[in-house]
Amino acid sequence: MPEPALVLRGIRKAYPGVVAVDDAHLELYPGEIHALVGENGAGKSTLSAIAYGETRADAGTVRASGTVGLVHQHFELVGRLRVWENVLLGREPRRGWRIDEAAARSRVLAVAERNGLAIDPNAFVETLPIGVQQRVELLRELDREPAVLLLDEPTAALAPAEIASFFATVQGLAARGAAIMIVTHKLQEVIAYATRVSVMRHGRIVAQMETAATSVDEIARAMVGGELPSVAARAATQPTPCLSVRALRAGSGETSVEDIALDVRAGEIVGIAGVEGNGQTTLADAIAGMIPYDGTISFANEGAQIGVIPQDRHREALVMPWSIVENVMLGRQHRPELRRGATLDRAHARADAQRIQERFDVRAATLDVPVRTLSGGNQQKIVVGRALIDDPNVVLAYNPTRGIDVGAAALVQSRLMQARNDGAAVLLISFELDEILALADRIAVMYRGRIVGEFERTNVDRGAIGRLMAGLS
Amino acid sequence: MTNMRRTLAGPLGAVVLLVVLMSLAMIVAGTSPLDGFSALFYGALGGRSQIGETLVATSALLFPALGIALAFRGGLFNIGAEGQLLIGALFAGAVGAQLHVAGPLGIALLLVLGAIGGGLWGAIAGWMKARFNANEIIATLMLNFVAAYVSLALVSGPLKGPLATGAETAWLDQAYWLPTLLPGTRLSIGILLALAVAVVLWWLFSRTIFGFELRAAGDAPEAARRAGIDIGRITWLSLALSGAISGVGGATIVTGELHRFNTQLSPGYGFTAIAVALVGDLQPLWICLAAFGFGILEAGGLAMQASAQVPKDAIHVIEGLIILVLAARRYVAARAETTAV
Amino acid sequence: MAVLLISLVALTLIKATPLIYAALGGVISERSGVINIGLEGMMAIGAFAAVVISYYTREPALGILAGIGAGALGGYVLGIAATRFKVDQIVAGTGINLICAGGAAYGLVLIYNQPGASAQVPALGREYWVLVALAFVAAAALHWLLARTPWGLRIRACGENPAALASAGIDPLAMRVYAVTLSGALAGLGGAFLSLGELNLYSDGMTAGRGFIALAAVIFGRWNPLGATFACIAFGLFEALQYVLQGRIAWLPADAMQALPYIAALVALAGITGKVRAPAADGVPY
Repeated sequence: MPEPALVLRGIRKAYPGVVAVDDAHLELYPGEIHALVGENGAGKSTLSAIAYGETRADAGTVRASGTVGLVHQHFELVGRLRVWENVLLGREPRRGWRIDEAAARSRVLAVAERNGLAIDPNAFVETLPIGVQQRVELLRELDREPAVLLLDEPTAALAPAEIASFFATVQGLAARGAAIMIVTHKLQEVIAYATRVSVMRHGRIVAQMETAATSVDEIARAMVGGELPSVAARAATQPTPCLSVRALRAGSGETSVEDIALDVRAGEIVGIAGVEGNGQTTLADAIAGMIPYDGTISFANEGAQIGVIPQDRHREALVMPWSIVENVMLGRQHRPELRRGATLDRAHARADAQRIQERFDVRAATLDVPVRTLSGGNQQKIVVGRALIDDPNVVLAYNPTRGIDVGAAALVQSRLMQARNDGAAVLLISFELDEILALADRIAVMYRGRIVGEFERTNVDRGAIGRLMAGLS
Repeated sequence: MTNMRRTLAGPLGAVVLLVVLMSLAMIVAGTSPLDGFSALFYGALGGRSQIGETLVATSALLFPALGIALAFRGGLFNIGAEGQLLIGALFAGAVGAQLHVAGPLGIALLLVLGAIGGGLWGAIAGWMKARFNANEIIATLMLNFVAAYVSLALVSGPLKGPLATGAETAWLDQAYWLPTLLPGTRLSIGILLALAVAVVLWWLFSRTIFGFELRAAGDAPEAARRAGIDIGRITWLSLALSGAISGVGGATIVTGELHRFNTQLSPGYGFTAIAVALVGDLQPLWICLAAFGFGILEAGGLAMQASAQVPKDAIHVIEGLIILVLAARRYVAARAETTAV
Repeated sequence: MAVLLISLVALTLIKATPLIYAALGGVISERSGVINIGLEGMMAIGAFAAVVISYYTREPALGILAGIGAGALGGYVLGIAATRFKVDQIVAGTGINLICAGGAAYGLVLIYNQPGASAQVPALGREYWVLVALAFVAAAALHWLLARTPWGLRIRACGENPAALASAGIDPLAMRVYAVTLSGALAGLGGAFLSLGELNLYSDGMTAGRGFIALAAVIFGRWNPLGATFACIAFGLFEALQYVLQGRIAWLPADAMQALPYIAALVALAGITGKVRAPAADGVPY
């Protein structure tokens, strides 16, 4: 066995009120691709931040044989700077006072070539597609020739084809002796590309396996610590026309949508599959009435109500310093039952909040605590509960379970299914293909602002969907 | 325990800091803090006329502070209360000097004119923000200077009172003077109006749909927009209302104390009011208390300068420091809260 | 006519100079991600410190240096408040303005025993033309530094995405403190030019909103040193015009003419916003 490139021993990190990482041991060897998996809040991010040296552990030791690099999930790039400026920020080659730009460009090209990545060093990062931006992020770390490379959810925004080429680069890097750790929740990728996997739960590493000798199910059970929660059953419904989109054109540039035709009937869930950045946000904003558009978006019944679950709960759905009760009123402040003349009926709002708390099992000391103090899962339950409380005819759900724990996710999915069973038309936009496959009655695939394929639940072909998502036909 | 510490730390800390800094300013000026403070407190609270002057300053600060709080709660940095107050006062003074309407009705008219003047001045910035997305901070700041020079030009020329020596309008007919509240002092019932505005604002923020939408726009603009709130409307409306409140304040100075418009009528009330609003945590009822505190400083500062030779401008330095320190303290408290989760 | 034109040009350059210094300070600060609303106060304290030191040393050059130092101190305080203590940048800047204006007024009474204005002190002679020329040199230099040097690249990254700078191993907070301090130094220099270049004394309110106009010039100049300089020249022209035109336009009183630069700034502000793009993290605490 070779010397490990990174050794974490007895790592412990506590924040007031919660132990994020508890007595964690981990060894990374040169040439291996090690997956670190676990639910949200299991301690993965804290552990990788400690390994990278960004966070200091309360106890335990970190020993690395060389440089440690970290590729963040949310790219830390500067859109208005060029590729070479981003890659070499902080390590600029100099000639006197100024940056030696020629040397900088050739250095970036050399690193890119060595790793089989195509890139134009002069391009402005904001003009590049997401997949290429990630290359820039990766190049920045590779320029430092790290002995250990940590990758935090690296494929979250990539199409299946891009994922394959990304892992080809990573495998090449490992073959040349780097130790790689990937923090992820995509268990299929763990099985396909990683050599070993460590599972974290409640701050501890509870299992460590060779990927060749395990399965997605086994890893998932280790993550949850038992059986997976189940989602409400799909009931038989009589779908009738409800929401109809025709010749929709909206937005501009990379994220615009064109020529969208879509029907969502009462009593069904239509899933929009696609990689992030292919126009889903524009479609959702047009249907929610947030942006101007050409074409028609029509509802079968007059005065149809639409319940919206926006994708960014912190920015688009909640007022973080406000109480649960006040947040439950937001967007509903003009409803007749909530207003008394110019004032709001707070007692009624409190009753609504209570109803949501009971139906969604919201864990909060009181209904008056700021939602900022709640966990992501509980915040999302409030967002979903608010969208569903007035029994809307149409539900627009955009990544409704992103970044929340498995239990909360199953509950949210169950409530969406119940809304469908009760006769709502549900449009589900999600970047998680598994979520779409689990919930949708029909699936439409979006690529570059267009719907490029449709599938009935009965004849779903996962491979075909994946190819369409990547722009292959 | 921590809760109690946190609630006490703010006001108590501010007072301790205030005392320390004031003492320092007095020592530098060659006065013992004991003499300095006794001069300050005697000057502010030592008798009927002193208390009257303190409350005059309180009232003058309370209006713009409430206006500023309204805009800030809506997420808009209205740094233009000074100009809005001045234009409100100008409207009231210019019309008041020519007025021939029955007494109480005339007074009401002047106050409304103050609101219209200040409201218009605020609405200019609001319209620029809503229509062109022009930065309201710079717009309101610029409008302060425009207000100062335009009013100076007007009362030096066309609006100048026939007997006036400086840049001021003619005096108002006594029928349009606000009744005195505290006999023997300059204090008018304007302060009661200010307190009423505070109560209305409290009700507006905590009970009404408009207040709810205003706070949403201020605390989470994107979530507010998605909740169907018309941000553009909130923007110009809250700046206009904010300006109107400061404008009424200007009008009460004209009808209540000065009985004419004078370009020197505000020694920077609109700027000090920013400190008042922040110290009052943008809560209308706390702002009333803060305004009284700053009223003591304003009125006492003059006395301190006269009898203890401590320049009253030290007060402004201290106000600035209080703004810095109180805002910093807010962050420290917030940080304690988030890391505890 | 020619004489009038020459004096208009000269006056424009003189009036633009303090604005340019302050605006360059504004550019540095905003490119690093901090909106420096305290420029006004830093100009005032710079102008005051310059007069005080020139008064005691009889050496105006030392006064100018003192002005730079006092402005830098104001910038440093704002920088620390806005980064380490996460005070809202606008609130902190407003606080700085009160402290500086109040501090200068307090100092006037202590030192000269009179409110309102200082005594007359030794001022720059013809040398103030050096400072005028230097303003333009500084603009060009800053433009080059921002575009071509590691220092400039890091400032720009800091104002666009401080997290990116952090992951490159550079502390964005330290960068911002440093940038705002430099910004204050330039504003202080602008203030010192006002009190020792154009005049030979300090009086309360002498900065008259120039720091705020400089801030507007930063926007019109699209956060670019050269653009901001052109904007300052335009504002300088408006200020110069009111002197040249005084008494020549009967129907417009002098006091109303003084409002011209501010109205120009307002109109330009409405006209240009929406067509320009601020640094992505400008005004956003890290």
